Amino acid sequence: MTTPVLEIRNLHARIEEREILKGVNLVIPAGEVHAIMGRNGSGKSTLSYVLAGKEDYEVTEGEILLNGENILEMEPDERAAAGLFLAFQYPIEIPGVATMTFLKAAINAQRKARGEAELSTPDFMRAVKEAGAQLQIDSDMLKRPLNVGFSGGEKKRAEILQMALLKPSLAVLDETDSGLDIDALQVVSKGVNALRDGQRSMLVITHYQRLLNHIVPDVVHVFSDGRIVESGDKDLALQLEAKGYAGFDGEAA
Amino acid sequence: MSVLTPVRLGPAEQTLIAQLQSAGAAAQAERLSGSGLPTRRVESYHYTDLKQLLRSVPPLAGAAPGASAPALEIAGAYRLMIANGRVQDAGTAPAGVIVGRSEGSVLTMRDDVLVRLNAALAGESLSLTLEGSVDPVIQIDRRSEGEAAHSAGSVRIFVADGASATIVETYSGSDAAHVSNHASYISLGKGARLSHIAVDLSSGQATHFATHEYQLAEDAKLHTLAIHAGASLARTQIFARFAGEGSHADFSGLNLVKDGQHLDITLDVNHAVPNTTSQERFKQIARGRSRAVFQGRLVVARHAQKTDAKMMMQGLMLSDEAEILSKPELEIYADDVVCGHGSTCGQIDETSLFYLMSRGIPRAEAETMLVRAFLEELVDPIEDAELNEALTAVIDGWLLGR
Ligand SMILES: Nc1ncnc2c1ncn2[C@@H]1O[C@H](COP(=O)(O)OP(=O)(O)O)[C@@H](O)[C@H]1O
Ligand SMILES: [Mg+2]
Repeated sequence: MTTPVLEIRNLHARIEEREILKGVNLVIPAGEVHAIMGRNGSGKSTLSYVLAGKEDYEVTEGEILLNGENILEMEPDERAAAGLFLAFQYPIEIPGVATMTFLKAAINAQRKARGEAELSTPDFMRAVKEAGAQLQIDSDMLKRPLNVGFSGGEKKRAEILQMALLKPSLAVLDETDSGLDIDALQVVSKGVNALRDGQRSMLVITHYQRLLNHIVPDVVHVFSDGRIVESGDKDLALQLEAKGYAGFDGEAA
Repeated sequence: MSVLTPVRLGPAEQTLIAQLQSAGAAAQAERLSGSGLPTRRVESYHYTDLKQLLRSVPPLAGAAPGASAPALEIAGAYRLMIANGRVQDAGTAPAGVIVGRSEGSVLTMRDDVLVRLNAALAGESLSLTLEGSVDPVIQIDRRSEGEAAHSAGSVRIFVADGASATIVETYSGSDAAHVSNHASYISLGKGARLSHIAVDLSSGQATHFATHEYQLAEDAKLHTLAIHAGASLARTQIFARFAGEGSHADFSGLNLVKDGQHLDITLDVNHAVPNTTSQERFKQIARGRSRAVFQGRLVVARHAQKTDAKMMMQGLMLSDEAEILSKPELEIYADDVVCGHGSTCGQIDETSLFYLMSRGIPRAEAETMLVRAFLEELVDPIEDAELNEALTAVIDGWLLGR
């Protein structure tokens, strides 16, 4: 049996004394795209932050294995170098940090951590240009400070650009569809689909079924009150859309 | 001040008094005997109590015994040197630069103990007159060399009507407990433009005092940047007076403070005539057990209508034991003005740090990126590429603990 890219076992996590994740179990084999759907406040972003290693959260129980390796003791940068990428629900604006400087620093830090040589400037420029073209990111956008003044759609496209450049083995997309109009949704979905290569795995977090028409998942999980309550194929998302979350978690909508 | 209670004089004050007497400044010696060095009870020294902080003063400096390498190499700059308060011979001046020297310091109306000490002890001044568009950056390389010594040096600069120039003063020297008192009196003629940058790179045991006094005539434009990146105790005093309508100044400064240091930038800007504008932008970063001080006062005279002045100070704490103190003050006597000030102090933003780290950038590198971002707007306006690079290297050197 091959090692899954992601394996989460009985994960419990809390923030400020409040338990948010209450026993998450999830296995994503190589090359599969899994979707997590759940109502607002159910803990989806918390799961993504705990995966990425945000300090504010305390993991009280359970394990997270990335390609078979327990990552819970790793710093966020080490997890990234190990192949994890999180596309943020709300990408952060960082004035004073040039986008290109940031991209180059990120790529080279990961290469260094893996014992690879730094990317030369021409190779880097070429990679950014190619990935940017597909996501309709022009050089003007890249000249600005990181995410500063980007529209909602531009921020999401910039996240996917980073993902394309960093080539993670596991990409976690947290509500990448929120705030996108239908055109932008198509551009972003196309960018994501282009990165599906049979090896790379993805965890697509969303509130709406709409995204899953564009990024078609292998498995859909319903998330409620800090755990997965139901799993199925892509039709589960349609049922969810029809019945609402109340039909799955028994809580009033 | 007519209070006649005798003050108890410490060893630093006693040395200073003897030095003033030996320099023939009997009146100053007497005045210091009466008042002592300023304590925190003197408002402008509230956070920098010289009586407490200046424990001893080394003997008056002799001629410099040969100089170490320049602390800051700026490619293409025309370099002048003052070593141990003495003006050194210089190479052929570039077009538009007239170099001279004069006896004594410069007369100023400013009533301040560091100014008075400088005036009494500086034997000669470097004088510079700048005409037309001066091309190369002018570096005034001010040194304290040899054994620990007390020195006072003075520079007088006149930027002629319509002239433009960039001047960088750097302060450095041998690794000894020097006390150096530097004064620069700068006058901008009508429509003159000057960028004046001062970078303290004194050795870790040194005490660095600098006074920059500016006077702006009609339509003059001034940009200043004072960086403290050395010394154990440092204070830079910036006194400016807008004397001609239509003049504008951007004042900026940076305290880079680490364990054991006390660095103070004190600014006093006087909008004395109508229709003048200024922007004050000061930043402080502190780590270890240290103290950073910024005091900024904007005074708008009664008839100085249409003054537009904005002062902003921002602090970044890199340790819990650091202290960052900011005191903004507005004294406005005119009614038709736009004046404001703001002050913030915080730590590295954890959310931004997490974002950078989540992309694989290690913590130290991510922190450095964020601190550079915090400082960018100070270095950004420096147009000369070589100078910009040199200053960026000073900041990076501090960040990386070199
Ligand atoms: N910093 C915090 N302190 C306390 N509670 C928090 C904090 N951040 C999130 N929460 C709570 O955790 C729960 C899950 O939030 P989140 O993971 O953002 O949900 P989702 O992404 O599914 O909408 C919510 O009830 C939210 O209020
Ligand atoms: Mg969320």
